[in-house]
Amino acid sequence: MTSPAIRIKNLTKDFATGIRRTKLRAVDALNLEIGHNEVFGLLGPNGSGKSTTIKIILGLLAPSAGTVEVYGESAVKVAARHSVGFLPEAPYFYRYLSGRELVRFYAKVCGVAPSEREERVQSVIDLVGMAEAAHRRVGTYSKGMLQRIGLAQALVHNPRLVILDEPTAGVDPLGAAAIAEIIRTLKERGKTVLLSSHLLAQIEGMCDRVAILHRGRLIESGTMETLTAEAGLESLVVDRLTDSVRAEVEAVLQRHGKSLRRTEVPRRSLDELFVRSVRERESERLKCGQELSNRGGDK
Amino acid sequence: MNVLAMSGRVTTIARNTFLEAVRQRFFNSILTLALAMLLGAHFFQQFNFGASELKFIADFGFGAIFFFGAILAITAMTQLFFSEMENRTALTLLAKPVYRLEFLLGKFFGAQLLMAVFCLVLSLVLMAVMYVRESALIERFPDSFADGRVVQYWDCLLFGFIQWIKFGILSAIALVIASFSNTNLYTVIVSFFVLVICQLQYIAQDAYGEIVNPLGRFAVWLASLLFPNFQVFNVGERMFVSVVEEPLGAMILLGIVLYGVAYTAFFLLLALLHFRNREI
Repeated sequence: MTSPAIRIKNLTKDFATGIRRTKLRAVDALNLEIGHNEVFGLLGPNGSGKSTTIKIILGLLAPSAGTVEVYGESAVKVAARHSVGFLPEAPYFYRYLSGRELVRFYAKVCGVAPSEREERVQSVIDLVGMAEAAHRRVGTYSKGMLQRIGLAQALVHNPRLVILDEPTAGVDPLGAAAIAEIIRTLKERGKTVLLSSHLLAQIEGMCDRVAILHRGRLIESGTMETLTAEAGLESLVVDRLTDSVRAEVEAVLQRHGKSLRRTEVPRRSLDELFVRSVRERESERLKCGQELSNRGGDK
Repeated sequence: MNVLAMSGRVTTIARNTFLEAVRQRFFNSILTLALAMLLGAHFFQQFNFGASELKFIADFGFGAIFFFGAILAITAMTQLFFSEMENRTALTLLAKPVYRLEFLLGKFFGAQLLMAVFCLVLSLVLMAVMYVRESALIERFPDSFADGRVVQYWDCLLFGFIQWIKFGILSAIALVIASFSNTNLYTVIVSFFVLVICQLQYIAQDAYGEIVNPLGRFAVWLASLLFPNFQVFNVGERMFVSVVEEPLGAMILLGIVLYGVAYTAFFLLLALLHFRNREI
């Protein structure tokens, strides 16, 4: 595949504000290239131009200058959107439709052939783990469920590129972990994922590369390792050492011209702890329920 | 642009828009009010100043269809458009391979489907009310109906269809205003102003013939061209109650339909011109 998933060249976007139509620059000469099958994080504080950039990629806004291509096709063209699935921030869907009807509606809009439509609808509903709630009206869904059904509608036409705007915002850690799991599955299935987020800790483990925007300008970009690793340092995680053993290690290091910079106890993140504890509790509950129903069956 | 795929997307969006519209309480309230007014037509006989009873009921029915239909056409179109914008469902929809024209047409045809249901139900009820009353009158005054029934019932459906065409223009006008406006209220108010202008457009046409100043003449001519003349659609009496006036010919009816379709297409194009550059 020769064309990258997204190629942004000198992208600038100005908005005219007020009666005098004063120009407000939202994106400033942005250059970015996102390769196929990458999970790319677009980071930045509020008003940094993330959403504007995403809207231009989706053809919802016209650039003031520069070009954006999606798999070699200009983002201005509707045809480019055949390759793109999009989940907006805090998505809101037609409340009167059931989850399945909603996904089917978007499948029709995207031109999924009638012969494969039901199969596609079912497979994306299964992928996002909404099979049990697919018959319920969207109006009754929790925030996490809305995000998941939103992901299903974004994936129903089997796009090569999936754009997720704040996919974990307002979702509890369990829901966020489920979304992270789906993103990993998408990568395994050969999709390119572009996601924007404020919740850096949640997306840290998902992204191959990130870019940081500030006031519309690109201030950092690169792989997670190059951006976050402390240059020239390495950490070894070992069993707890006694004072004498630690002194020996330091001596060995000294012999090789190295020094022990710091010792610390490795910690799990609070997110990780929460997700693991709740999942353990859930599986115990399921086990108990199953045992009870088995006993009932025996009687 | 693949026309088949395009019509498929328009149909899908229109169907969803219609589903949304019929679930709104506003549609049911308007429909109930209009039906109540039609069914109660003969109780308002005290306001009849000399016209025949059947003509009075027919006029009353036409009035109800126009009054409630105009309110529904404007408010439903506006509401259906802004609900997509304000709830940001348009963002998700337009991020799909959907042309903005398809989105607008889907919204328009969805609203028109709603208006079709409204016109059909009201025309059928008007037919029923007229039939019951005419049957009672035949029993009481058989001599006056020696040549048979005077009401041409099937023309009532045709009348409903012509009103539907008129509401199509009105919905398209509301869509033009919604395409550049930021608020629901502004769209509704301006659309009602335009409705009044269209209703009184014949005055501009009369003035056009009398103005001597070529510049003024041109301005009035332009205004009369820009705003459709809604009086063209007021043909109920001529179609429906044959004794009142001579019935309308098929060519005239076809002309009215084409007039309505041409104006609707013009306003839809105008809406697209505004909407294609709108920031979602």
